[in-house]
Amino acid sequence: MSLLAPAEQEKLREWFNEMTGPVRLLFFTQTIGCEPCVQTKRILDELPALSERIAVEEVNFVLDKDKAAQYAVDRVPAIALLGQNGSGAADRDSRIRFLGTPAGHEFMSLIQAILLVGGAASQLTDASRARLAAVDKPVTMQVFSTPT
Amino acid sequence: MAFANEHITAYAVEATEFPDLARRYRVTGVPKTVVNDTVEILGALPQDAFIAQALAEVLPPAGEPEQQPKG
Repeated sequence: MSLLAPAEQEKLREWFNEMTGPVRLLFFTQTIGCEPCVQTKRILDELPALSERIAVEEVNFVLDKDKAAQYAVDRVPAIALLGQNGSGAADRDSRIRFLGTPAGHEFMSLIQAILLVGGAASQLTDASRARLAAVDKPVTMQVFSTPT
Repeated sequence: MAFANEHITAYAVEATEFPDLARRYRVTGVPKTVVNDTVEILGALPQDAFIAQALAEVLPPAGEPEQQPKG
């Protein structure tokens, strides 16, 4: 049974239709001792059915340490969003990550991130873009939130 | 912001699932943003104010360079 009501699915389909490129969600998970991983899988499994541009790829956090290191993922559940590269494949790292179950507010944030990486319009103003263009040192931002 | 500049990496963290991170970064309310482990912003801000605060240590002060000289 779907976690999403039919009306919600319809709305998401509409939004995802605005995407111009593919998005791959690298879902870092483990099979034992991670209840939130199970919940996250249920949520992510809903998305590919709503848009042919969205794919979910599970990565075993315990077995695939190299990939976890490559994407700087040190805990699960975690999601890394990959967007289109020059050749059209969805393997360009967006450097956007989600740690923890994307439920509640985080679900909407995930949807917005998918739309952004998929080529739907950014919410940044031109002034913000100009400011951000000047950043030339590594910056790591962590935004903490709760589901409610 | 991460999508706009390749030097920026952004993590959305579910605070209740990772109490160790919430403690380490003194998350007493949400949303809380931590930049490079040093800058802390509690609450939501308008976009320009958020960028100015979040990137205060990596960018020159906002405003001045962009303003046209008067007269």
